[in-house]
Amino acid sequence: MVTFALQTAWRRKRRLAGTLVAVALGVAFVAATLVVGASARAGFHHTYLTANAGIDAYVRSSEELTGGAENTRPPLPASVVDTVAAVDGVRAARARVEGEAALAGAGDRPATVAEGWIDVPELTPWRLADGHPPAAPGEVVIDRALAREGGLGVGDHVTVLVPEPVPATVVGIATFGDEDSRADANLVAFTTAEAQRLLLGSPDQVSAVAVAGDDGVSQADLADRIGAVLPDGAEAVTGARLTAEQQAEVEGDLVDGLELGLGAFAFVALVVAAFGIVNTFTILAAQRVRESALLRAIGASRRQVLAAAVVEAPLVGLAGSLLGVALGVVLASGLLAATAAIGFPLPTDGLVIAPADVALALAVGVAVTVAGALPAAWRASRTAPVAALREVAVGDARPSRLRLLAGGAALVAGLLAVLMAGGGALGAAALGAVLLLAGLVLLGPAAVRPVCTLLGAPLAARRVAGDLGARNAVRNPRRSAATAGALLVGVGVVSLFTVFGASATRSVDDAVTRSFAADLALTPAPGGLDVAPDVVDRVAVLPEVAAAAGVGRGPAVLAGRQDELAFADLAGLGNVLDLDVAEGDLAAAAPGGLAVSTAYADERGWQRGDRVAVGFPDGTTERLDLAATYDNESVVGAAVVDRDTWAAHASQPRFELAIVKLAPGMHLDDGRATVEAAIAGPEAAAVRDRDGLVGAEVAEVRGVVNVIYALLVVAVVIALMGIANTLSLSLHERTRELGLLRALGQTRAQLRAMVRWESVLLAAFGTAGGTALGVFLGWGIVRAVDARADIATFALPVLPLAAVVAAGLLVGVVAGIVPARRAARLPVLDALGDQ
Amino acid sequence: MSSPVITEPAARAVDLVKVHGEGETAVRALDGVDLDLPAGRLTAVMGASGSGKSTLLHCLAGLDTPTSGTVLLGDVDLGRLSDTALTRIRRERLGFVFQAFNLVPTLTARENILLPSRLAGTRPEPAWLELVIDAVGLADRLGHRPAQLSGGQQQRVAVARALAGRPEVIFADEPTGNLDSRTGLGVLRLLRESVDTLGQTVVMVTHDPKAAGWADGTVVLADGRVV
Repeated sequence: MVTFALQTAWRRKRRLAGTLVAVALGVAFVAATLVVGASARAGFHHTYLTANAGIDAYVRSSEELTGGAENTRPPLPASVVDTVAAVDGVRAARARVEGEAALAGAGDRPATVAEGWIDVPELTPWRLADGHPPAAPGEVVIDRALAREGGLGVGDHVTVLVPEPVPATVVGIATFGDEDSRADANLVAFTTAEAQRLLLGSPDQVSAVAVAGDDGVSQADLADRIGAVLPDGAEAVTGARLTAEQQAEVEGDLVDGLELGLGAFAFVALVVAAFGIVNTFTILAAQRVRESALLRAIGASRRQVLAAAVVEAPLVGLAGSLLGVALGVVLASGLLAATAAIGFPLPTDGLVIAPADVALALAVGVAVTVAGALPAAWRASRTAPVAALREVAVGDARPSRLRLLAGGAALVAGLLAVLMAGGGALGAAALGAVLLLAGLVLLGPAAVRPVCTLLGAPLAARRVAGDLGARNAVRNPRRSAATAGALLVGVGVVSLFTVFGASATRSVDDAVTRSFAADLALTPAPGGLDVAPDVVDRVAVLPEVAAAAGVGRGPAVLAGRQDELAFADLAGLGNVLDLDVAEGDLAAAAPGGLAVSTAYADERGWQRGDRVAVGFPDGTTERLDLAATYDNESVVGAAVVDRDTWAAHASQPRFELAIVKLAPGMHLDDGRATVEAAIAGPEAAAVRDRDGLVGAEVAEVRGVVNVIYALLVVAVVIALMGIANTLSLSLHERTRELGLLRALGQTRAQLRAMVRWESVLLAAFGTAGGTALGVFLGWGIVRAVDARADIATFALPVLPLAAVVAAGLLVGVVAGIVPARRAARLPVLDALGDQ
Repeated sequence: MSSPVITEPAARAVDLVKVHGEGETAVRALDGVDLDLPAGRLTAVMGASGSGKSTLLHCLAGLDTPTSGTVLLGDVDLGRLSDTALTRIRRERLGFVFQAFNLVPTLTARENILLPSRLAGTRPEPAWLELVIDAVGLADRLGHRPAQLSGGQQQRVAVARALAGRPEVIFADEPTGNLDSRTGLGVLRLLRESVDTLGQTVVMVTHDPKAAGWADGTVVLADGRVV
């Protein structure tokens, strides 16, 4: 029985091939998502295990600031190191001093970590491969990756930016365990004392304490013992917990997002494939009834025939899924290589292909295929066999009233949900999107005739091939709608992201226009650190410059809530930036005061004159007066203090952005040249004018959108194959009719044209619906996004959308090529006599 | 009704041979057929199943290429023509009525009748068209689709289509095969009238002697040969 089923499937292999490939592509994405996620997790796990290998206990501040881009903890007093070293059970304790730095001339290496060199092997993953550890100020050890990249060796002179340039000599080269470097960071190590001075700003502070315990003392026991002697504000955790926390943080930041993104694509790919699968099995089911009648007549048992039908879908699903898993592994390795290329290197020990993940991908593929075959099977079970033996009827039964009502209700509900989802109600917008799609799918068949007749009118009038093609496109509305549905989803998502990209670009443009009252901006050089304050000061005193002010950001605790706090030269800020001050005076906030946006003040229930407790990154708290409120949040954010206030509590203060206003009458290009000359040096900041600033931020958005486009191309390819596949099967059903047309005098060329027009019309139907859906949803989601987010303004990119529409029609042309050729090649007589 | 006028035959087959398959499984469907089809006459081609009558029709109509021998339509040697040229000949100079599945389901009766002309990019003479439609008696059914027509009506639409282009020859392959005797008679009467009144040449393949009785002459095939 199984052999019979297998043989039956094999005979129909050509017709099932299209479905198999569609499933394979969808499953490939699922498998790639799982493999990338698992590999990245394993890679980071390995990195942190290596980094914390010998650390049995870790002493750090018990306070954590989460409001900024990365989580940080305040430093500890240096005396803690001795206190900890004296605890019974501690074999060695060393100060950890960490900060950020950049090595001038080291190109595109990822963020560099500057440390104080630790001389106890267990407490550090870095192994000296060449030279000797730093012993005096000005001596540094760098990792081998940096050395390779910069062509550096022991004895070379380098400049380390912290962010002030510090001249140093390389005295040693280190490796991270056996590897040239950590995948996500590079090392520049000073002596502990110099690191404290440069990175923490004080010889009496350390970032943390790393502890190795005696043999026989458990990590938990050690942590408890140490915790007992620690002053308030410090805590001791086990090495195991440290690794777990670090891993969880990076997973939350990076891996989860990556998996979510890839998972979304896998979902889109599967949905698109599903349309094709449903269609294929519907068509095959009709052919099967005739075939089974014949088989039963020649003696196949009912069970044999039934088994063949039931086994086919899971069989195709499994075969496709196996192929998909293989493709997915290839895709995963490509993705991992690509992330390294665009600067998000994921540490990997190679691919992690877990059996559980493979099983999951296979299960998903089989499930989707079987689910796709169900509607056809269910319908077939209700059709009287006699009906199936008649020639292919024109026009399916009209869609049931229930279907029309449900579709209409879903459409209206979806429209309302999206229209009413304003400011922050993304959930409602997403729900609206799902309802709209459901409505379109349900109403699709009803819309085929009117829409396709409309779209096909111009060509039906002129050419007989067009007329025949148009009629063929509408003869089976349910099938046509299902075929076009895949393209609708594909084009819809592409249109959506086109609108997103344009809106994000416009929003950036608007934001910069709104706030940029000046001429030039200093931004971090690519690969470099943020802008050093002294650079800004140097620029500010230039005679060609009227005013210059920098803005930086960091994590803080504002009246008990973790938030981001900006710092700037408040006295001069108003000269370069229009904050739209509502109450008070920015300059009044300069000495030890705080200014917040009116929106934030309303949210927190504050008024001008209130005293607010502000917790800084060094662990201290200061009460600041709320001296001013402003309306424009676009550059400084919700809260800002003077830079001096901030500098008193933070080490290595740096600006994200410095804004420069040139002296009146100064020409832009001359001014830029002067500023560039003034700040010239290793890793100097980039000087941009307004357009350049917009361009730089837009480039980031573009980069992301391009990656998304690349992945969406796959979804469109799946849709294309779905159309081609369905078309081929439909033509196969119409063989007699094609033979008749050829007999009556339709040339091969006319037949091919007729098929291509049918394909193009179907594609046009899907493209029209998809574009409308995508643009509407794009508009709705931009509206629904929080007004403070980066993508608050809607823009309609007419030209790119026209390109999307053209691409959709091109899909129709391409999808029709092979089916047209195959249909035309059939000898007339064979077609006429086809049973 | 048949006057002994000597005219050029509408179509000729000269030593026609058609072999299907090869080697041991080779089947000689036509084994050297010589045949002249008189113009302005209804000729019946009869034979049992497997006699080669349908194959003969297909070769004469340019739907199939013979293994050897010549087919002449008027004075055109069909064997020398490309597929596109043959296709053009079919739509401009021939008419077809098949046993079943004669009509394109997506087109109305009128559109089906006009189909060969549209494929050729021409239109039939309006007066002629009206005459033909009247002759087959379908004036009130022109807007209907095949699914809304009975079997007999569908065959009559096919006949109208075949006539509309004023072809040199109409080839009918078992035109009454799927119809009951009364309806079939109607179709045969139509074909007969087209020859008598409109001067058409009709070649009809049939296995039914009663249908053959309507013809001016009969050709009988057995085992691929004329007997």
